[in-house]
Amino acid sequence: MSASFERLIDGIIDALQSHVVPNSNDDFVRGQVFSAIYALNGLKLAADWKAGPLLEQVRLQDDTLAAVKRLADGMAHPEIPATPRLTSDISDAAAIEALRDEGDRRLGQLLLWASGADARAANRDLAAGIERLLRRATCDQLKIELATTPKSMLQQIAGGERDGGVAQG
Amino acid sequence: MQDVAKRSDDVSAAPEAVRPVAVNDDAVRTALAQHLSRISGSRTEITSFGRKSSGFSWITYAFVARSAAEGDRKLILRVGPPNGLFAPYSVLPQVYALQSLAGSGVPVPALVSSEQHGAEIGFPFFICAHVEGDVPAPWAASELDPDHKRAIARQFVEILASLHRIDPGATAFASLQQGGRRAEVCAIAGWRASLARPTARYYPLLDWGGHWLEDTCPQPPCRTIVHGDYRIGNFIERSGRIVAILDWELTHLGDPHEDLAWAMMPTFNARSRKLYGVLERAEVIDLYQRASGIAVSDKSLAFYEAYALYQAAAIQMCAVRAFEVDRFNDMRLAVMASQMPSIVRAFERALEAAA
Repeated sequence: MSASFERLIDGIIDALQSHVVPNSNDDFVRGQVFSAIYALNGLKLAADWKAGPLLEQVRLQDDTLAAVKRLADGMAHPEIPATPRLTSDISDAAAIEALRDEGDRRLGQLLLWASGADARAANRDLAAGIERLLRRATCDQLKIELATTPKSMLQQIAGGERDGGVAQG
Repeated sequence: MQDVAKRSDDVSAAPEAVRPVAVNDDAVRTALAQHLSRISGSRTEITSFGRKSSGFSWITYAFVARSAAEGDRKLILRVGPPNGLFAPYSVLPQVYALQSLAGSGVPVPALVSSEQHGAEIGFPFFICAHVEGDVPAPWAASELDPDHKRAIARQFVEILASLHRIDPGATAFASLQQGGRRAEVCAIAGWRASLARPTARYYPLLDWGGHWLEDTCPQPPCRTIVHGDYRIGNFIERSGRIVAILDWELTHLGDPHEDLAWAMMPTFNARSRKLYGVLERAEVIDLYQRASGIAVSDKSLAFYEAYALYQAAAIQMCAVRAFEVDRFNDMRLAVMASQMPSIVRAFERALEAAA
């Protein structure tokens, strides 16, 4: 299981136990909260992040890494891993998430290289083109995450307002 | 009438205190009574003590201090928790601000006491006067009268201009200057270092953009006191007047464009490009220039608009770190992580505009 998923569940349980339960004198509400805590403990044992968006991000990274390798052929550049990096025996979300994070670090190194003096001195136009490609690809990757991000509830979260509207999933 | 600020900390002589691992409200209340009794020389009782939930960083308590010598005083205690958003905490920027700006054109709460090493409470803390009034919410459109909001927005800009007119060399802020390095570059480097700490996520665009910001940071028109979080929501208004500017924890020396760009971020203006949803950008700049005497550069403003998003991303990552790594149990910090994709995308667009 992903450490961040487990920590999130632990945090929700702690918030309910430490802040909601002690401040509720209504037996029905307390029953609801304890049921929610029980359900969350169940999720901790059985669930994880959805693998689909993570897989989509890794595939996009692989396409980008392959494109940069092709474009930068003949230039001295940071190491680019062989693609595709996903093998059929990788199925759990934590392993795919780790692969995605590793891909981000590779893309970061390449972006710094493409915008740096050495790459520009070697081939200015090509380096600029690779930089644009990497920026666009990392933005596309963020779009995949945005599709699984609920609408902001910043006002309600910051101020604890009760009647501030309902966030859309 | 200003309270006399009393600093009971002495950096050089401070002992290594054994710090409690979490902030216990009952223990804080007991220690607070001891602290106020000691510094006032009069037994002080704490009543109406309660935590205010609004802050994301320092823990804020409101209370009444009752003593024979000074009667009832409504005060605010702010405590820097060891695993909070920007831990480890220093009270110095806030103390410098409240001390230096008392009686200036920038309204601030009166400082009562502060301790960097938190000898009695166990954490860095400061106490200031409670200021009556309302804090407007920056996140959503309010139902306030637009004329009222315009008047407040204009004051908000004029106060910023007053802050930037102050010569920092004549205040305690001068001690914040780090060697010969440009102060505004130090501020960028600070956020870069924060983002480079081990966290759950690495964002290529933030790493690359941080380099770009540090490498291309423009020369400021003048070096001023920068509030660092100057926005709607960080002041108290009463009867149509701004009576206190709050939250000075990110105060530093730097380029005045930084505060201007931060204040105009749509995030803090109910998603509007207008300040407080009412004041057009051109009007803000014109008013600011006339009030401060500082010429606003379009290029510098664009740079600091990109920097504002970079800083916002770094703050979100501080929240993620506080929750996931330091295990600070506040679910509001956990959900801040979900804002990262939209902030990083906006940062990329802002960099394009600034380049």
